[in-house]
Amino acid sequence: MNSLDLQLQQSNQRAVGTQRRKLSWGRVLAWCFVGLWVFVTLFPVYWIARMAFSTQKLLLADPTNPFPAGLTLDAFRRVLGLLPLQMVIDEGGFPKVMHFGEYLLTTFIVTSAITIGSTIFNAMAAYAFARLRFPFRNRLFYLYIIVQIMPAVLGLIPNFILIHSLGWVGTLQGIIAPSFLGSAFGVFFLRQFFLGINRELEEAAMLDGDTLIGIFWHVILPITLPALTTIFVLAFMTSWNDLQWPYFAGGSGHIEGTTTLTVAMLSFRSQTQRGLPDYTGLMAGTLISIIPMLAIFLVFGRKIVDSIQFQGYR
Amino acid sequence: MKFSKKFSIAASLLGLGLLLSASIAQAQGDAVTIRYALWDSGQQPAYQACADEFTKRNPNITISIEQSGWSQYWDGLTTALVAGTAPDVFTDHIAYYPELLSKGQLLDIQPYVDKDKVDTSIYLVDPSLWVKDGKRYGLPKDWDTIAMFYNADEFAKAGITADDIANWTWNPTDGGTFEQTIAKLTLDGNGKNGLDPDFDKSNVVQWGFEGGPGDASSGAQPDWSAFAASTGFKLTDGPWATTYHYDDPNLAATVQWWADQHLVKGFAPGSDQLGSGVDSLFLAGTAAMFPMGSWDIGSVTSSATFKVGFAPLPVGPQGRFSPINGLSDAIYAGTKHPDEAWQWVKFLASPDCANIVGDHGVVFPAIQTGVDRAVAAYQKKGLDVSAFTTIAADKDHTYLLPMTDHISEITNMLQPVLQNIFDGQVKAADALPQINDQINALFTTAS
Repeated sequence: MNSLDLQLQQSNQRAVGTQRRKLSWGRVLAWCFVGLWVFVTLFPVYWIARMAFSTQKLLLADPTNPFPAGLTLDAFRRVLGLLPLQMVIDEGGFPKVMHFGEYLLTTFIVTSAITIGSTIFNAMAAYAFARLRFPFRNRLFYLYIIVQIMPAVLGLIPNFILIHSLGWVGTLQGIIAPSFLGSAFGVFFLRQFFLGINRELEEAAMLDGDTLIGIFWHVILPITLPALTTIFVLAFMTSWNDLQWPYFAGGSGHIEGTTTLTVAMLSFRSQTQRGLPDYTGLMAGTLISIIPMLAIFLVFGRKIVDSIQFQGYR
Repeated sequence: MKFSKKFSIAASLLGLGLLLSASIAQAQGDAVTIRYALWDSGQQPAYQACADEFTKRNPNITISIEQSGWSQYWDGLTTALVAGTAPDVFTDHIAYYPELLSKGQLLDIQPYVDKDKVDTSIYLVDPSLWVKDGKRYGLPKDWDTIAMFYNADEFAKAGITADDIANWTWNPTDGGTFEQTIAKLTLDGNGKNGLDPDFDKSNVVQWGFEGGPGDASSGAQPDWSAFAASTGFKLTDGPWATTYHYDDPNLAATVQWWADQHLVKGFAPGSDQLGSGVDSLFLAGTAAMFPMGSWDIGSVTSSATFKVGFAPLPVGPQGRFSPINGLSDAIYAGTKHPDEAWQWVKFLASPDCANIVGDHGVVFPAIQTGVDRAVAAYQKKGLDVSAFTTIAADKDHTYLLPMTDHISEITNMLQPVLQNIFDGQVKAADALPQINDQINALFTTAS
């Protein structure tokens, strides 16, 4: 690892050196492209913020203004449930009583359970598929991948029926269960990593008298930490952003303590047939709900990039 | 004298005893929570007030209101019905009612209506809509009609008077004075309006009118539906009909006129610009008027930065028409508390609740006293809603939305066709008769 890092550093320095010496058209073009890409990625986020800081009335009256129309924090206060209902009505927002803290807590519980559960089960399944010898191992693996790789929406009805038969509709375990046991991508991704690990490491541990579970725990998991982090963060993201399943399994947002943030945001969609959504409330809610995601990325971002680079150098 | 005094004391004692025993019985009754679902959050405060009053009168029954916006409402309700977790009482719409009925999800309340001798003649909307084969599946709670929402500031600027609006006429051939008004209100980048020969339709900054292909499930209720009706067109022959008349040439002419306001004249935005809802262009001041239902009064007026007016729809070849639609409150067939649910439905459909809802000025209740209160509440907000109430009182010129089986299949078949007409890919006169055959085939093959 150390020598690898050193090599990397050296090659980076070389790259910096060449860049300073000559500024080729290709490089300029590349930078323009990157700049454009960053703009395309970030502009929608800016536009969300711009709408969130506007008032509902002025936002609609002044749709082309590049800055917040009638700068205000009221949309945020509405989302957080800090504004009296009558004021909400007067401002043209939807008079929905928001329990933001409750939604946040629910989302955290659901997301943490799914993230931790799926990371553990992904790793165990991937290790079994990578190392254990059992009949039809590869066939089972491909079967698993094929079944899991189908669009998630196909699983909606079967999952719902199962959860319903268990009497779990409208409960937290109902929302958590289907994703708790891992995902096809996670198993596939980690299996590739495990296959790349030198077998001798495990054999050495085995000679030292370590059990299979011991090897998995002491040897395999530590050296695949970057990959595990990636899976962890991806699972966190997916689960944090998921809307459809928490909506249906959680009782359509009507049962206390099962409404996630994404489901709660639905209350800003149009109330009547062909009516207008509560844009400012929706955007303020969206903005607040991506903050935890941003935090996760700031903490783990480097590790994810590392793990992808790590795989690239193999 | 003596006797009568004794008698009255005895009678009042007896009465007191009865009252006491009744209240004891009520207090002894188990506390029940009735879950009640509705979709418009704007109406929630009004119905919460009804619920509070109801619980005051029936201390053992609490009402828990579950609200979710229009599209989630139906998804959520369907899922909850499948899962057996549906609310005890829910707001019902005729576009979904036949399907709910055919799946056996609604409780027949006729026995309750008979037992409690509910007077069903007090409703402004025909309550027989919710009756099929002698069974009753709801009582009317409110109604809505369609009128033209307009930007009063822009109308004044264009010199359009109240008289112009009150008497405007329309026909599918040249659009009548209504189209003249639209043209006058449409402005291009050079400040020329649609009547000017130099009008540049590729550079419009303000549209005179906006209207999309409409929602096929309701026969384009706020959109071209009323215009088509004013030509004498009838979509079906009445509730539970088994034939549709989408092949009527009058309808094709109406829909084509409607689409041509954008495609040919350039007086209206294309349907791609209506994606975020018709309200948004209107509220942005880029469209001067659009036809809409009374349910949208609150939402539009509270969001507008200009004065909004409500005009009656134009008078067509056969007169001025508007669809009238009402909602009802239905009881879920699987409810564990049918008696308490009925108590709540009965209260919702009573003058007392109608008056409470009316005072909130968010919707027109199904009972006249409630409507009077709603009109007064709107007036207090400075809104003249007579365009909606006048047509509603004119029974010869209102009609019901289509209510038949197969509504969801019809919607799936018709919606893309309407879209194509509005995008200019097909002509209404070709496409509508063709889809009508397919729609009518549903009724011959399926049953």
